Amino acid sequence: MAVTEITSPVAAAVPGKHRAAVATSLPPARGQSFLKLVTIELRKSVNTRSGRFLILGILALALAALTWQLTHLNDGKQTFDSYLAAASTGVMLLLPVIGVMAMTSEWTQRTALTTFTLSPRRIRVQLAKFVSAILLSVVVLSVTVVLALAGTALGGSLSGDGASYAGFGGALAGAYLTTALNVVMGAAFGAVIAQTAVAILVFFVAPTAWTLAGPALFKSNADWLDVFGAFGRIAERDLHGMVPETLTAIGIWIVLPTIVGLWASSRREVK
Amino acid sequence: MITVENLSKRYGSTTAVSDVSFTVEPGSITGFLGPNGAGKSTTLRMLTGLTPPSSGRATIAGKKYADLPNPGRVVGVMLDAAAQHPGRTGRETLLLNAALLGVPSTRADEMLEAVGLTPAAKRRVGQYSLGMRQRLGIAAALLGDPAALILDEPANGMDPEGIRWMRGLLQDFASRGGTVILSSHLLGEVQATVDRLVVIGGGRIVADGSLEELLAGSGTLVRGLDPNGLNQALTAAGLSVEPLYDGALRVDATAEQVGRAAAAAGQILLELRESDGAGLEELFFQLTSPTAAAA
Repeated sequence: MAVTEITSPVAAAVPGKHRAAVATSLPPARGQSFLKLVTIELRKSVNTRSGRFLILGILALALAALTWQLTHLNDGKQTFDSYLAAASTGVMLLLPVIGVMAMTSEWTQRTALTTFTLSPRRIRVQLAKFVSAILLSVVVLSVTVVLALAGTALGGSLSGDGASYAGFGGALAGAYLTTALNVVMGAAFGAVIAQTAVAILVFFVAPTAWTLAGPALFKSNADWLDVFGAFGRIAERDLHGMVPETLTAIGIWIVLPTIVGLWASSRREVK
Repeated sequence: MITVENLSKRYGSTTAVSDVSFTVEPGSITGFLGPNGAGKSTTLRMLTGLTPPSSGRATIAGKKYADLPNPGRVVGVMLDAAAQHPGRTGRETLLLNAALLGVPSTRADEMLEAVGLTPAAKRRVGQYSLGMRQRLGIAAALLGDPAALILDEPANGMDPEGIRWMRGLLQDFASRGGTVILSSHLLGEVQATVDRLVVIGGGRIVADGSLEELLAGSGTLVRGLDPNGLNQALTAAGLSVEPLYDGALRVDATAEQVGRAAAAAGQILLELRESDGAGLEELFFQLTSPTAAAA
């Protein structure tokens, strides 16, 4: 087979060196620290258009509310309280959606497949998502607070009555606490129900339905499961002697869904 | 090295995968073949820790997948190229993974270059074709410079040029001591790429061996004017006969033995040749035919 001998060397491409013989330029493999997982989850929530639009939309809402407040100045000193309340109402309503989406978007976009192949210890990833959602909402709320501060100062000089920052610390503490609880609750619902739309719906409807129907059915005993009442008391940082009721409501609406959600998402079949 | 030992998966009363065992050696490419719904993906998902097996175990480099501290640095996995966020760019998708794997971001650009996606790096994955997503998935799998690759239907959606490119890439990877397992439901798609075949049907391994072994002429293929009469004549002559789907017969004997037996019985032959892997083709046909799926 002389012909084959003449032509065959062309096909024999130079084989690459065995991988063991090649020194890799990559750094040595290490485990994934929790901090790294949190950083990556934070990045995931802002590196898509939908994620950015959600955050920008929330801030736009705060700006719109402040603008309305500034164009409808009431008499007297402009209080930070009222500006923060105006700016943060919409923000606090929508921030939990960040929590919900942190948990659901991987399942609806099917990226959970990659995420959980690269990080098989799912509970750690899910916890990192909780932390990332809290951090992100704290950042958004902080921007809102800065906007509210600027609004108060502007309102004070526009009205000529000056600005008052009385109760600054208390208002802030209340806002951050309730936001954090709300976001965790949103994330917990998202972890239990992996469908974004359904999770958001249930998150908004279920506690409201209870708040409306509970008192009619259970009279004052409904307080035990009224999570909004509990949030209100926490925001005021005065539990009005309802410590067990507050803890029970938080336990049922936040702690329980968190545990169930972590359990469910660690076992859920990744499609 | 990838080892699968007696892996089974039951969903309620249905068994998706039943007692599957095989190994994939370094330096080789194994094709994991079977029709849709045969249990390929379920097996690969158990291998990568996504689905807990009902029984049995699977290890990669001697460890269970979930016990690998940073699996992407040991084994590159692509289970579904379509499962990528459409809102991220190709580059951002790789950068996220690079951060998790602890490799520099330059590695992401190198891999984009290696799979030919550099011009599309800044486009969102939503605008990619399935073939481009397959390339991105392969880039992601190679990102951590793993010693093993697990690819589910990597040729799906690729054009012939893409398939040839992937073949070169995988053969180079294996020639440098890498371990590759890739699944497919088309024998022709992977025949030129793989060294070994593991064939699964109905959740069970039905064939496992080197490509040469499985495609080797096992016996003789014969076709007669009267298939039933020929079958009876050959059986009467003491030969082992296996009817194929198109009226041909595969016989464990030489062409001469078959010819003599047919002549003695006065059977007219239309075709007589070495079976040339007809057994494997037949096996495939049986596995993929609707009647087999219904059974």
